[in-house]
Amino acid sequence: MLVRRLLYLLREAVANVLTNRTTTVVAVATTAFTFACVGVFLLVYVNLKTMAASLEQDIQVMVYLQDDLTEQTRSEIELQLKADRAVGSLTFVSKERALADFQSQFPAESHLLQGLGQNPLPASFVVTLAVESRSSDAMRRWANRAQSIPGVAQVQYNQEWVEALAGIVRYIEVAAIIVGLILSAASVTIIANTIRLALYSRREEIEILGLIGASTTFIRVPYLLEGAALGLLGSALSLVILKAGFELFRHEIRSASRFLGVDALLTFFPFQMCVVLVCVGLFLGCAGSFLSLLRFGEGRA
Amino acid sequence: MIQLFHVSKYYDRRLALSDVTLEIEKGEFVLLMGPSGAGKSTLLKLLIGAERPEEGQILVQGRSLSKLRSSEIPLLRRKIGVVLQDFRLLPKKTVFDNVSLPLLVQGASTVEIRRKVTDALRSVGLDHKKDLFPPGLSTGEQQRICIARAIVNGPIMLLADEPTGNLDPELTSEIIELFKSINARGTTIIVATHDPNVLAQVNRRVITLDQGKVVSREQVCS
Repeated sequence: MLVRRLLYLLREAVANVLTNRTTTVVAVATTAFTFACVGVFLLVYVNLKTMAASLEQDIQVMVYLQDDLTEQTRSEIELQLKADRAVGSLTFVSKERALADFQSQFPAESHLLQGLGQNPLPASFVVTLAVESRSSDAMRRWANRAQSIPGVAQVQYNQEWVEALAGIVRYIEVAAIIVGLILSAASVTIIANTIRLALYSRREEIEILGLIGASTTFIRVPYLLEGAALGLLGSALSLVILKAGFELFRHEIRSASRFLGVDALLTFFPFQMCVVLVCVGLFLGCAGSFLSLLRFGEGRA
Repeated sequence: MIQLFHVSKYYDRRLALSDVTLEIEKGEFVLLMGPSGAGKSTLLKLLIGAERPEEGQILVQGRSLSKLRSSEIPLLRRKIGVVLQDFRLLPKKTVFDNVSLPLLVQGASTVEIRRKVTDALRSVGLDHKKDLFPPGLSTGEQQRICIARAIVNGPIMLLADEPTGNLDPELTSEIIELFKSINARGTTIIVATHDPNVLAQVNRRVITLDQGKVVSREQVCS
């Protein structure tokens, strides 16, 4: 009994879609592009957040040493740093190594140093702080402490840059929420209008169903299913568009050698998030249908 | 079966029914006569809960319609068959599917639907046309399909609003005979019409409305 009714309702939903084929295709396409716009923001947000998290893991503090230090003083500084609980690990970079690194990283600019005669680059310790000392305040306190060690010329770290990136991520987060809400409302409106067209084209049938004693639920379900299908198809199509755009972008990045390695950091939405996005589309589709049904006021007459 | 007590209905202050009081017994065949705008259709709409009266009370099988919740109206309509002048058949569904709709919305089983639809179509003489679509049928046949749909779930009463309005005199006779045979099986029938041909053929109780008021309750013996 229930199966037969369910089959009937499903058949009606499919009939609704087929009856208004052009409207349905337009609605799915428009919804897909609207969702894709939200998706672009989400994708930028997800990638920047991943990058920020990755950078936080790699925060290193450069402790530059004075040029005239003896080997013993350098060892004392190294022991003092290693004894510090805030230090996770450290690596010594000699003046010669610093010069070699510079020349390998910036071969075009290496002639600049040749004119100076002697190696101007200082020796340094590259310090990776322990996880619990990576907060902004803890890092600043530690840098000040390291700066006061005799023989240390300067302490530099990239926390400010990371904080700036985190700030950008926060702004994008807010923008994504605002744009997401606006475009979600647009999607709901598009689907609501499509369903309204379907309701008007079948108003006589709805009246007949009301006359013969169909319940409000019985009348509404096919249209709710249609809205859900539109939302689901729209969001699924938007993911396909996003994935294609994402792969194209990654390919371009990979081709441009100056961004070497950046493409490996780029990630698409994980599978679970794709499922959530499709479910959100489905829910918005249902919401659009429901709004139209409320305005149409079927089943009351 | 049906009782109306001092029922009045307005549309935007325009009086559609005024202080109507009447009673229709179970198994009766009643004609609601009157010119266009007399209030016949309004009265039928009140009986199926499509409209609510501003004043008065309507009882169907002892139950007050004004006390029905919105969710109970579909249940009331499942007990009432409705036949309209413009048939209101779904053109893209077969005759069988059109007639089976009231059973489907009630959740009847496939076997029950097949049996009852076949019976209903046989009683209107159109069981051989169950696989056709309404636009391929004559107006008389479409009206008979509409009647089959109205009686398929064994309603306690059948309301017909100008059922012969689109039919010629010969087809009108056919439809009236059909109503009589349905009435003979115990179904209460109320036919709203302004067609004097119907009056001549039915020869049953006539309630005449004019400008929303009952102007006569003639009792005609068959």
